This record gives sequence, C-alpha cells and structure tokens, in this order.
Amino acid sequence: MDYLLHILIVALIYAVFAMSLNLELGYAGLYNFGHVAFFGIGAYTSALLSLAGLPVPLGMACAMVAAGMAGALLCVPALRLTGDFFGIATLVFAEMVRLFFLNERWLTKGPMGLPGIPRPSWVGTGIAAMPMFLVLCLLLTVSVFLLVRWVAVSPFGRALKVVREDEYVAQALGKNVFSLKTRAVVAGSVLAGLAGSLWAHYITYISPGDFTLNETILVLLCVVLGGKGTNWGPVLGAFAVVFFQEALRFLPIPADLGRLIAPLQGMVYGLALILIMLQRPEGVISEYRRSRVC
Amino acid sequence: MAYYAQLVLNGVIAGSIYALFAVGLTLVYGVFRFINFAHGELIAWGAYLVLLFALPPISLPLYLALIPAIAGTVLIGVAQDRFVYRHLLQGHRITLLIASIGVSYFLRNTLRLIWGSDLMTYGIRPVRGIQFAGLSITPTQLLMAGTAVLFLVILFVLLTRTLLGKSLRAVADNMELAAVMGVPMQRVRVTVWVLAALFAGVGGFLLALDTNLEPAMGMTNMIKSFAAVLLGGAGNVWGALLGGLFIGMAENIGVAFFSPGYKDFISFALIFLLLILRPQGIFGVLTGMR
Repeated sequence: MDYLLHILIVALIYAVFAMSLNLELGYAGLYNFGHVAFFGIGAYTSALLSLAGLPVPLGMACAMVAAGMAGALLCVPALRLTGDFFGIATLVFAEMVRLFFLNERWLTKGPMGLPGIPRPSWVGTGIAAMPMFLVLCLLLTVSVFLLVRWVAVSPFGRALKVVREDEYVAQALGKNVFSLKTRAVVAGSVLAGLAGSLWAHYITYISPGDFTLNETILVLLCVVLGGKGTNWGPVLGAFAVVFFQEALRFLPIPADLGRLIAPLQGMVYGLALILIMLQRPEGVISEYRRSRVC
Repeated sequence: MAYYAQLVLNGVIAGSIYALFAVGLTLVYGVFRFINFAHGELIAWGAYLVLLFALPPISLPLYLALIPAIAGTVLIGVAQDRFVYRHLLQGHRITLLIASIGVSYFLRNTLRLIWGSDLMTYGIRPVRGIQFAGLSITPTQLLMAGTAVLFLVILFVLLTRTLLGKSLRAVADNMELAAVMGVPMQRVRVTVWVLAALFAGVGGFLLALDTNLEPAMGMTNMIKSFAAVLLGGAGNVWGALLGGLFIGMAENIGVAFFSPGYKDFISFALIFLLLILRPQGIFGVLTGMR
C-alpha cells in the first residue's frame, strides 16, 4: 500500500516536471535538453533554505523564483540560437549547473549531497507522511494542469504555437518572438523548480547525481511518449514511465544480475525514444486529431 | 615559464584530438543540417571496441585491435543513418533530434551493460616522457598528435583532390542542387558517416590511450567538440579544426587558474561566451568546406 502511494507520488512529481517541459517543447517548440537544471535548482534552493530553518512552503516559493530567474538568465545567450543549437546550449547549461553542485562544497556539500531535508510539518514524518504528501502533490499537480491548460488556450499560448510553427509569421503578425520564448522558458523553469522542490522534500536526500542527463531523458520520454503539445500527454507519459520503471523491481532477477537492470532500463528508454520518433512522433495523444474535432 | 609552455603543449595535443571529433560532427552538420547527439557515443564505442579486441579471449595487440574496432565503429555510424536518421531527415527537425538523443542513450547504456560503469584502461604502463628544452612529451602524446595530423591531411586531400570529396562539398553547399546535378547522394551520405565515425573512433582510442575509458566519455567529448564546432562556425571543417585546438589549449591552460573539478566547465562556459559575443563563430571568416 505504501509502495503504491510512493509510485503515485513519484508519478505526480514527474507529471509536473513533464508538463513544465511540455510548455517549452510542446507549445513553444523550444528544444530544451537541459530541463533537469531547473529541477535541480529548485530542489537545491528548497532543500538549502528549509535546512537553514525556513518554513517549507516559503522554501518552495523561493525554489520557483530561483528556477525562474535561472531560466531568464539562460534565455539571454541561448535564445540567440534556434533548433539543435538551442538544444545543445541548454544541455551544456544543465551540465554546468551540475558541476556547480558538485564543486561548491561550502554550499551544496558536493558529492555527499544534502541529507535530512525536512518535509512540511503538517504532513507528518516518515511513512505516516505518505498519504498527506500524496494529497499535497495531487493538489499541486491539478493546479499546474489547470494552469497549463489555461495558458495553452490563452492568447499567449496561441501566439507560442505560432512561434513554434513559423517564427517569421509570428514576427509579421507583430509578436515579439524573443519575449514570447523567454516567457515560455521562465514559466517552464518555474514549474520545473516546483517539481524539483517537491522531489527534494519527498525523497529528503539530494545529491548532484540526481540531476544528470538521465533525468532529462526520462522527462523527455514522458513528454514525447504521451504526446507533446497536448494537455494530457505529459501526465499520461509520466505515469506510464514511472510505472514501467517501478514494475521492473518485481521481475524475478537474480541478485548478481541486479547491476544489469539500470543499463537495460536505459537501453529501453533510448530505444523507446527512437521507436516513437520513427513510428509515431506525435505520441500516444495526438495534438492534431483533437483540434480537428474542436 | 616552462610550466606554461608545457600547458600549451598539452593543450595542443588534447586539442588535436578534439579537432578529430569536431571535424566529424561539423561534417555531419554541414551535409545533413543536424547536430548528431550520438556523435559522442561513436567516440566511446571506438575506445571500448579496441578494449574488446585487445583483452582476452581475443587478445590482439593494441595496434591490431584498432582495425576491427574502427571497422565496428564505422558500422555503428552507418547503421545510425541506415536505421534511424535516414527515415527522419524529411520530417520535423525535433523528431530527428530526439531520435539522436535516443540513439545516444541506447548506445551508452549498451556500453554500460557490457563493460559496467567503472573506469577502465588499456593497461599500458606509463612511460617516461621525452625531454627537450625543458618540455616533456610522452610517446603516447606524440602518437596522438601524429595520428591527428595524418588523418586531417587525409581529409584535406579527400575533400579537395577527389571527385567524392568535391561531391561531398557540393552536397554540403546545396543538397537539392547537387542532387539535380547528378551527384551520387547515396555514396556521399555513406561517406559522411564513414568519415565521422572513423575520426570519432580513432580519436576515442587515442584519448583513452592517454586517459581512461568510461561510458560517459562520449557525452563530455561531444559537448567539447560542439564547442569547437561553434568556434569554427557550424559546418566549417577547417574552423572546427582550429576550434578543437583552441578548446584543448583553453582547457589545459585554464587548469592553472581554476580548480581541476571545473576543467570541463571551461569549455562549457566558452560555449556560452561565444553564443553571446559571436554566434557565427570566431573563425567564421574562413570559407567553410567550399
């Protein structure tokens, strides 16, 4: 039962993370391959502040602000680039952030990580905190879902889609492309920061190793599997990926082969990305079929 | 003074290897107009395949193990194109990019599955460096620089003196026009992948000879060679070469001023500086492959 709660909580956190990436990748067409940086910035900000004694909700709010500011900072150089160059620039940014976490020991304790991150006092401690934490995650996920859905149909969201389809058309229509993209990245970063801070307070231990390219790939898979540019796609993708990941633990694998599981998982994720792109690049839920009905 | 001269020398040698990687990456970009995220995995596979053929049960000497290993790397490079990229070049760009991330992740984890995540080496005993004028250079380093120069000269001759190289440059210039003029597209695309994989594989082997092997070596070096590509202006082969040398020097000289934990950070930060100051590349004045 507790294990099911755990899976649900992780899936919900990943759903928030995936929805935040979808804002950039799906709606604005920005190939952000370093999204984990903002997840990590959120996690570290929230963890450090609450370890310093600040109340958890305030720490989470600061995490969102910090991630958003980092997003804005990234936009200045990175948005000069389009397409794959933006992709690599963001990937590099994420690696720089990780190296920072790894090397600035006075702040982050480096590779040792930060243990004992407090949970909000009202959810309780230990195993007993799980149901309330699930409620908290559920509330936040639903809020983020409604927010993203609202953004998607707002004039801002529609302008973003124009930018995605053709920047020059957007410019000709009098839209400020740079500002639109920056706002999309900042919004995505803020939500990724929220997901990261939820993660930190749930797992209660973070280290630089939690914020590698692997996490970016995982969340990318969530978005493209479910269907980028759709409301339900990232949520569906997050649940599918997290459930798949956890289901592997129930396979009867001998202990000495246990070390093979992680690489095998990685191979499956890589292969899944390739196959989705080859066979059904729009994902399980297609953006276009829905709009034809509307 | 000798200390800094030594750092520059080390930088040039490291840079010649980055140049090998960057040339392949920029060649693929020049012809297919996309950054292959899986380029780093070709580097890593080149290094690991040598290990496969050099260790028991096969136990070939290193220089013989290199031949099947490079053949294997080239096969992987061509297979990437044959099974994935070829089918996606006409579609949406993001599909191609995500697929190449998938390819990279798949190949890296296959490495981890076979060889594990620990550091490995070819088990060559370190040799005392040759001394001259207060500088020290090891035979391995000489081999690295020599091989890099040899391969780059071969590339130069291929691109400028042969029909195949000229068709390659034509395709990089304008794919449709080249196709209309009867350039054999199939041969050109295979050539590009063979060259990219060849250079990556040989470079990966040389790098591992001097340092060690780990599954993540591909990604780090892909990012560094991307910095070199950016420096040279994307698609510009000779720019990428100079960019590689520059990155190698910046990194090695930077170690004198920053903590070694930030060694990779230098080339990463350089990418951002470049993007802000000069997105068209420092050596953008040189005229590409043309």
